[in-house]
Amino acid sequence: MSAHESAVVVPSASELPAPDKDALRLAHLPERAYRSVMIGTIALRVWLRYKSPQWWDKLLRRDANARDMDAIHQRNADQIFALAVNLRGMLVKMCQIIGTRSDVFPPQYVHTLAKCQDRLPPRTFDVVRTVVEAELGKPLGEIFSEFAELPVAAASLAQVHKARLISGEEVAVKVQYPDIDHIIRTDLSASRRVAQIYARFDKNPMDFLPLLDELQRHLAMELDFRREVASADRVRAAFADDATMIIPRFHPQFCTQRVIVMEFVTGTKVNDKAALTAAGIHVPSLMTGLMRLFNRMILANGFFHADPHPGNILVNPGPDGHAVFTLLDFGLAKALPEGFGMGLFELMFSMMTFNESAMLRAFRELGFETKSGDEQTLLVIARRMISRSDTGSFQGEFTEEMTDEMFEGIRENPVVKVPIDFVLVARAFSLLSGIAHTLGSRANALDAMGPGG
Amino acid sequence: MTLEYSFDQLMTEQDYQEPVIAGGVRCHGGYIDGAYVPPRSKVRGPAVAAWQARLRGEALPLIHIPSVYVPPNYPNYAQAKFLLQEGIREPVTRALTLIAIIEGFGARIRDLPLPDLTNEVVQDIGGTALAHLGGGLFEAHARDEAGHRDQGGHKQMWEAARDIGLDKPKIPGDVLMRLMSGGGPRGDVQRLFPRLSAHMEGMITALATVLVVETFAEDTFDWAQKLLGDPEVSVDAERARHLVSCIAADEAPHVDYLTVALSELRGRTLQSADGKYQVQGAEVVDAIFARQLRGMATRRPAEQRERMRGDIHTVIADEMKATRIARQFEALDSGWRFPHEDDEQLQVLLKTA
Repeated sequence: MSAHESAVVVPSASELPAPDKDALRLAHLPERAYRSVMIGTIALRVWLRYKSPQWWDKLLRRDANARDMDAIHQRNADQIFALAVNLRGMLVKMCQIIGTRSDVFPPQYVHTLAKCQDRLPPRTFDVVRTVVEAELGKPLGEIFSEFAELPVAAASLAQVHKARLISGEEVAVKVQYPDIDHIIRTDLSASRRVAQIYARFDKNPMDFLPLLDELQRHLAMELDFRREVASADRVRAAFADDATMIIPRFHPQFCTQRVIVMEFVTGTKVNDKAALTAAGIHVPSLMTGLMRLFNRMILANGFFHADPHPGNILVNPGPDGHAVFTLLDFGLAKALPEGFGMGLFELMFSMMTFNESAMLRAFRELGFETKSGDEQTLLVIARRMISRSDTGSFQGEFTEEMTDEMFEGIRENPVVKVPIDFVLVARAFSLLSGIAHTLGSRANALDAMGPGG
Repeated sequence: MTLEYSFDQLMTEQDYQEPVIAGGVRCHGGYIDGAYVPPRSKVRGPAVAAWQARLRGEALPLIHIPSVYVPPNYPNYAQAKFLLQEGIREPVTRALTLIAIIEGFGARIRDLPLPDLTNEVVQDIGGTALAHLGGGLFEAHARDEAGHRDQGGHKQMWEAARDIGLDKPKIPGDVLMRLMSGGGPRGDVQRLFPRLSAHMEGMITALATVLVVETFAEDTFDWAQKLLGDPEVSVDAERARHLVSCIAADEAPHVDYLTVALSELRGRTLQSADGKYQVQGAEVVDAIFARQLRGMATRRPAEQRERMRGDIHTVIADEMKATRIARQFEALDSGWRFPHEDDEQLQVLLKTA
């Protein structure tokens, strides 16, 4: 159904009455209480599930370290996942972040909570219309000639609809959920309170507050869509000379803090091998092309798309059958500190050549630290990581197994401080490796470094 | 004459009296009686000489690239010195850093997939360099280029020479960008002998390419030794020049073993994996070698030269006296006529082993 056909009279943003903050707070009170109680209850259950076996072991004088914790981790992860799907909002985002922090959380959490990347049930069209009209200051029908009521994608903070501008251009409209600000404030505050209470009761607490700080920073970035637009524009400008990457163009006059209107693009999902082949794309060379783009962003430009999961990468055939990539969703884009690219390159290079003194220099350059000052720890982790590669040597690919092994090494050795930039980059390379393996290929960063990829 | 060597034998180190320490990094090789001796050369050196002698005995010629086809380094010594004297350090720093990285990438040779040589070469390959490629020659080459464990290789030695000569210059932030520039995906290399296995043709292509790169590098060594060894622009001219001379000395065994292996292949008959197709090695090696040499001696250096020239003028344009500097820089260009791509003389040339 087109926007015209379904148009209803909706007051423009300027006509909307100013919200009464006290009234809003009161109106949200039951929901706030409900969310806080739910979060607190699940947190208590998770905590007890860890603590009661410890108490039991202590009582029976059994070795607590001998207990297999995998099943407990899995039950807790499942319960947190269920709560996130129920309450959505910040909890989904929190799960997504936990799903990326293999350096902090056990694999059961990482694998279960990473499922939050998948599709979520969408909001109704009325909700969408209200946000778009309020943000753009006009009725839908004055901007769009068509607006699909069903979204093409729905995630934790926003959903995307296909539409057509009055000018006739087909566009994608990304719309932020209207109450997301409030939900996030509530959930963050409840989570902080839970973390503080937990820290008071547990003798050896895990420090969740840095994670919540990181979450708050991420959310602040992602909730302002103008930032996403700026990030995408920045990468597009840096790749102006490269015909193998496309970033959909925005309509800046229709991009606000909560709405993005951009060119509607089509293509084959990057991990759908059969569809890629059917589309005439040369699959064997696809990963080299994709790695070249991410190498350039990470190692050379110092600004990169930090969430290259398959849903964010579409592929179309170029004139010679080689892949042309369309990158979507720059909500999680990250600037890297000066020298990071060279440091990472040196680390990969030294791992490839087994040059351990160069490896240590690169670890230091990237910001790795050990509290004890014993740098052998870093070498032990690097050796463990290399040992998990398919060939027993590092050939330029951060496979998922290697990244998992590295983060397990870091978790088991709490003296190591890992720079967050490294975590995000390792995760990005690991996601690319996952895509490569689906295609029966390799995500070799070093191979893709030569001129012309 | 011993012609068979184990992996460990080919890795055997000399009994060095003094190590090479450059820029605080322990490097490979070392000194005997005050003279630099390359790494892993105790057995590898005599082994390559023995395989060469065997070729001579079989009256098989060695592949040879005439020096006329070696593109001169750009910017030349006079131009680079002029830039440094004008305080424009970025182009030389970038060039030296890129050389270091590219040298390091030479370690990828250890990952080169080899064909089943005993099956795909009709004659016996026992006692040849060819038979030792995967049995130590590639690994030694890789270690020479990129270093191994606690020893730096050419990558680290080039970095040290740069830092010693130019007093730890600021590395331009675009070095990796330049390395990756060139735009667009690499076109697939066209198969010239599709009936041979992909690994056989890939191996010959790689050997030919590396040999051309190593041979062309000789001019870069001369350039770097003159520039970094020039006390007017180099902070520690003697040490910087010496380090580059050590790297140059290490490269000679690479050229030697690659030349011998390719020449051995020329003298044999190659066959498809199923044995149904046979072709003279000389036909295959010469065709592939000529193609690689043509591309690397003509189009590629011409493009690189133009790109680098543009980069240098961009940097010069930011200077106070840009017009004068640009004019003087161009006046120092010795020029070079790139051989035409279909120059008939640009064929694989041979010399007596």
